[in-house]
Amino acid sequence: MAVKALYDYDFPSADRIENFGDDQLVYVHWAGNPLFCSAAAFRAPRATPFGEFVAAMVQPWAASDPEFDPASIAGWQLFDEPLAADPQRSLAELGIGHKSLLTFRTA
Amino acid sequence: MTEQTTLRPVGIDLQESEENRALIDAIKADNPELTVRHMPGLVKLQAAGQIVIKRETVEARLGRPWETGEFQLAIVSYAGNFSEWDDDQIIVRWKH
Amino acid sequence: MSLTERPPATSAPAKKLPVKQRYSLLTRDLDWEPSYVNRADLYPYTSYEGIVVHDWDGWEDPFRLTVDAYHKYQSEKDKRLYAVLDSFAQSQGHLTLSDASYLNSIKLFIQGVTPLEYAAHRHFAYLARYLEGPAPRFAALCQSIDELRHAQTQIHTISNYNKYYGGFHSWSKMHDRVWYLSVTKSLFDDAMSAGPFEFLVSISFSFEYLLTNLLFVPFMSGASFNGDMPTMSFGFSAQSDESRHMTLGLEAIKFLLEQDEANVPIIQGWIDKWFWRSYRMSALVAGMMDYMLPKPVMSWKEAFELYFEDQMLGGLFPDLAYYGITPPRHVQDAIAEKDKLSHEVYKILHNFSFAAAFTTSTPSDDHMAWLSAQYPDTFDRYYRPTWEKHRSVEAGGGRVFFQGLPQLCQVCQIPIAFTERDDPTRISFRHSEFRGETFHTCSDGCQWIFDREPEKYVQAWLPVHQIYQGNCGGPTVPDVLAWYGIQEGDNGEYAGSPDQQQWAEWHQPAKGGN
Repeated sequence: MAVKALYDYDFPSADRIENFGDDQLVYVHWAGNPLFCSAAAFRAPRATPFGEFVAAMVQPWAASDPEFDPASIAGWQLFDEPLAADPQRSLAELGIGHKSLLTFRTA
Repeated sequence: MTEQTTLRPVGIDLQESEENRALIDAIKADNPELTVRHMPGLVKLQAAGQIVIKRETVEARLGRPWETGEFQLAIVSYAGNFSEWDDDQIIVRWKH
Repeated sequence: MSLTERPPATSAPAKKLPVKQRYSLLTRDLDWEPSYVNRADLYPYTSYEGIVVHDWDGWEDPFRLTVDAYHKYQSEKDKRLYAVLDSFAQSQGHLTLSDASYLNSIKLFIQGVTPLEYAAHRHFAYLARYLEGPAPRFAALCQSIDELRHAQTQIHTISNYNKYYGGFHSWSKMHDRVWYLSVTKSLFDDAMSAGPFEFLVSISFSFEYLLTNLLFVPFMSGASFNGDMPTMSFGFSAQSDESRHMTLGLEAIKFLLEQDEANVPIIQGWIDKWFWRSYRMSALVAGMMDYMLPKPVMSWKEAFELYFEDQMLGGLFPDLAYYGITPPRHVQDAIAEKDKLSHEVYKILHNFSFAAAFTTSTPSDDHMAWLSAQYPDTFDRYYRPTWEKHRSVEAGGGRVFFQGLPQLCQVCQIPIAFTERDDPTRISFRHSEFRGETFHTCSDGCQWIFDREPEKYVQAWLPVHQIYQGNCGGPTVPDVLAWYGIQEGDNGEYAGSPDQQQWAEWHQPAKGGN
């Protein structure tokens, strides 16, 4: 249903990928850890290798939980699909697009 | 005057104050089935179907002339419809 | 008869006109048909929403206020209120609060709610010009002045606390910038950027009637229970205006429904949207009621059952069924959440108060016992374990905060922290695609709202995304907090905060022998 208006109601989205240069937004959810109220939002270059993304951004955030053990991260998902999270491949190469939701569990 | 078509409860919340004692007494007198609940600073009135406030009854208990407009100083909240409000009475009820 | 004697009265004092007649003479009868301006040019906003009105004179105002009566009653209310504010300030009444931590609820109030009063003042002034009938225009004018009064009296009431406690100083600036305040700001911006009829359904009806008790009574009763006499007095003073606002909201709904059958589905859609938007905003009140009051009044669950389920679903909606209106679309989700909402919201505030202009604390044993009794089906099983983990970290000298930024809902702008109806351990993620871009929402309700008007919500100023675009002062947390206007002592953990330390000093046992 289009917005009712007295004029042509057509405006650009506030968070379109063009606003982030070579970067994009990614959300990461630690499934099964209620210490975190929600998923975290990150801004990262699309060309970042996945392993670097996890080490530089996800792990420091996950360490908000004093019991976090980086070695225990397992079972990545991209939205509802399992993700073969090759640490050498970039976010873009893995199909992790702008504003994707990643989920991991810990063993 | 529209007929009373439902007995669903209507409610009025009034400020608990010295001045409102007489008002509450008057409403009790004109609405025999009224329930009155006291909470901090607040008096919750409830009755099935409708609540009537009559100027003459209020004046008799207050001991001075009273305008129905003064009710605005007493009210905190209500559940229902103001179906009548003139110089002599106020009626709160549901329309349907 | 001497010159000093008064002549006998020859007649009774002149009677005032009856209320109905005075009202008519001073409102409707002052209206006129434009003769040198086209009516459509004079009122350009009342057609484009698709709402049809055949007869504006059908609008009824039971309060039948006139300007003189308005002035008389409102001045009286102000006099009574300011007497209380003065007395409280003069007697150092703040020292009789239950605890300084109580004021975190009032910080949330002045930052989140007071600016909405001001926004309402502005928009009702616009309605006082652009609605076509004199009766609704005058009711809108009274409400505009009422809302300005509410903003002013809240500011005066709460200014006393600003002298002694953190977090109050920059509420207006924070409302425009700070992440959790975009929740309340965006709700009103959504309403103000809609048409006049949608605004009436969103604010006058959904906010000021359907949910008003749920939004305001917890703050005011919380004030009463915790020794906050000024806020409680403000609440009573404002509530008598609110009964007029409720009436305007109810009259608006009924008037529009009665004017034309074509209006019914449009209004139903707005009720569905605005119940959910206002309900999501009320989540902040839920967290406040259950977690931020040293002396709690009642649980969110109990308040929701009383003020919404009983009074509205049980009382109002059967009344509206006459017109073909049904209860709001996602109301069952709200009912299903009542054992979870406050806990999930307070987790957000507790995780992020390092970036807020208030402090939070892990609940004490006594507090958890109360929560357990109020929420026998959920608290011990789903929420206590997390609070106990926080307690054990704190016992070791630490304090867990979310070291990052949250994922926000595109519509309600709250972090996506609510859970699936049948599983409190699973966050309810939803997402939609629009013009090739992904947008996340927190619930079926918010997703439905997004999908209905995506062109509007894709423009949302989401605080987290704006920080990442460099629009909030800088890349680091201290940069952002400075841009927010948050000062040392405003934020973080309550234990050890300046508010808590001062409170302890001021409440040392009196010295001196006996």
